[in-house]
Parts: sequence; structure tokens; C-alpha cells
Amino acid sequence: MKIEILGSGCPKCFETERRVQKVVQELGLHAEVIHVSDMMEIARRRVVFTPAVAIDGEVKISGHVPTEDELKAILSPR
Amino acid sequence: MLWELIRAGLIALQDYIALHVVTCLIPAFLLAGAMVTFVSKETIIYYLGATAQKLKAFALAAGGSFFVAACSCTVIPVSSGLYYAGAAIGAAFIILWVAPAANILALTYTGAILGSTMVFVRIIAALVMAFVVGWVMTVVFSSPSPPAPLPSEGEGSRRGEGADRRKLIGRADVTLLVLLVISLLAPNYLVQKGPYWAKVFVWAIATVIVFSYAFWAKPKEELKRWMGETWWFVRLIFPLLLAGVFVVGVIGKLLPEEWVRSALGGSSLGASFLATILGSVSYFATMTEAPFVDTLMKLGMGPGPAVALLLTGPGLSLPNWLAIARVFGIKKAIVYVVTIIILGTLVGWFAGNFIF
Repeated sequence: MKIEILGSGCPKCFETERRVQKVVQELGLHAEVIHVSDMMEIARRRVVFTPAVAIDGEVKISGHVPTEDELKAILSPR
Repeated sequence: MLWELIRAGLIALQDYIALHVVTCLIPAFLLAGAMVTFVSKETIIYYLGATAQKLKAFALAAGGSFFVAACSCTVIPVSSGLYYAGAAIGAAFIILWVAPAANILALTYTGAILGSTMVFVRIIAALVMAFVVGWVMTVVFSSPSPPAPLPSEGEGSRRGEGADRRKLIGRADVTLLVLLVISLLAPNYLVQKGPYWAKVFVWAIATVIVFSYAFWAKPKEELKRWMGETWWFVRLIFPLLLAGVFVVGVIGKLLPEEWVRSALGGSSLGASFLATILGSVSYFATMTEAPFVDTLMKLGMGPGPAVALLLTGPGLSLPNWLAIARVFGIKKAIVYVVTIIILGTLVGWFAGNFIF
């Protein structure tokens, strides 16, 4: 699983990354967490509102810092 | 000497922050948080992308950016994201300009410190400049075919299109926002001359009304999100504001009055130009421009240059130029910055000579 946090390097993005890391650990997932801060790359993904979270290339959350429950819901293996 | 400077900084903190926390800053942060939570940014963006008419898109971009971002760190991705998703270049640059130059937090604080005339001029000037900037960017850079949108990766791009067609804002949310605006204005306008405790009293009543309504009309979950967003604004902006105001106090102490008076006094084109350059190059965290301008005005800066500085201070900065150049390309960045500098100078000159 590849989890990307898209954001311009702002405090909200770091908080998002921290929460993602925490949830990944709690759920015991084998995931690669990457912070994408290149604006062109963010634009290429059609993300307008940062911070955003993409899982395996698909943008799941955009425009706010997700809560841990929210992250658990989208990260839990289906 | 050093002690004197620290003291000046502390006095500024007391004057600009302590006096305004309850009746201005708290309601302003609550309002900003509510806007981010309850107004659907996605809907604004959706309509922006769908609008073919330029004038309509411009108006939407200018009005929408009032709600979209009050934090400068988010506005460049918003603007560039829109541009590369196919929105008109004029609209993209309008957002880039209006969001920092006339966001709700900065406007509120400007009103509390510099008075309502100054806010009014600031809003009008920001909008006028926005339309001219949008027009200039369109004329200079519009190509017969729209700018090739960046090839999108993955299926994530198409997914959003239908989902974005949500309602802009619910009725209960509108009422809540209006109540918040009232709670923000009431203490400062009902009690203009009275003692400070009277303001706090009015604020307390208004706030009780706001929260009673919120608890009655909104689900718990949304209230929690609202508080979360509000807390983010406080966390992000308040430390910068504290630091900025302290620096403002120190600078005010260091700057000789004659310098300010001769360089920025009156309302000549030269003074206005200097204020614009000062604002365009240096970085002002949102809201800090208001106490800075107030300090300079007390030292003799004219109202025209003050307007120019209020607009370009938060609107442009050297780091901001570089970021724009990286995302939009050097040519567009140069045209944008030069246009803003020319407009800022003219607006300052005009306001100084014909409004104040």
C-alpha cells in the first residue's frame, strides 16, 4: 500500500502525516508513507485543497486534516 | 537601549493583542473556522470550472476566495490546482491575489485597529485590483486554445467531478454565519465610546446566542469540526501575530519619525510607490500588516500609502514571488508582480487624494 500526503509543507500537512503514521502503526499496515510537496505534482493530481491523502494513487481526503477515525475508515483492509 | 526596545515590543503586544483578544480575535477566528467548515469550497470551485463567461468567473473567483482560504500557505496550491485543471488564468490569479489581500481575518483586524473607512477602502481596492489583474493576465497570456491541462494521473481525477456538485451552503449555516458576523461587529459598533467591560458584555451576550443556535441547529459532529478548524487558525496564526506585533513595536521605536514623514507622508505617487514596494517585498503574516500600518501612520505615513501597504503587505512577498514563479512560470510571475506594483501605487495615490 502506498499512502501519499499531498501538501505544500504547511503545519496542517505535517499534522496529517503524523496522524497517518499513527493509524498505520495502530492497524499494523505495511504501508509506504510519502510526503508530496511539489506543487506541480499536486496540481497534476487535480488536488486543489491541501492537505490531501491519496491511497495507491487515488485521492481520498482533501481540504482538511483528517481525524484518526476517518483515516481508520479508509485505511482498514476491506 | 535594548530594554527600551523590548519594552516597546511589549507595549505593542498589550495595545494590539490584549485589547482585542475577546471582542475581535476570538469572534474572528470562530467566523473563519465556520466559513471553512460550513461553506463548501468544492462547490465554489466546481462552478468556477464550469463557468465559461469571463466576467462571471472573475466575480466568482473574487467573491469565492473571500471564503476559500484565510491562510496564505493554502492559496498557491488552490490557485495553481485550478489553473492546471483548466480554469481561466485570470480567475486563478484573482484567487491568488484576493485570498491574502482581503481575507476575513485580516479585514476584521484592520477594522478593529484602523477603523471602518480603512476596511471599506481595502475591500474595494482589493476587488478593483483583482479585476484588473485578472484582465491583464487574460490579455497577456490567453492563447487561442486553453492552456494544455497537465495530464492527470490515475483515476482520482475523474472521480471528483460529479461529487463536487454539492450545495454551496445550508440554510442553518447561513444563519450561523450571520450570527457570527453580528457577534463580531456588535461589541465594536454598539459600544463605540463606552468602557471596555461594556464591549465584553455585548460580546458575551452575542456569543451565548451564537452557541445556543449552533447547538440547536447543527449536529455535534459538525460543531466539533468547526471547533477543530477554528483551533487550527488560532494555532497557525496567533504565534505569528504575537511575534509580528512585537517586531512592529520594536520597529516603531527604531524608525525616526522624520524618515517616515518624508518618505511615506502625504499622498504623492512617490510615497505610494515606496509603500507598495515595501509591502511587495517583505513578508507579513496575515493580520500583522494592520498594526504595522497603524504604527507607521502614527509616525506620519499618509493614508494613501497606508492603503497600498495594507494590500501588498500580505498579498505579495519575496518568497511568494518565487513560489509563483516556480508554479506558474517566470513570465507570468513577472507580469503579475509588476501589475500589482503598478496597481498598488495607483490605488494608494487615488485613495490618498480622492477618498481620505
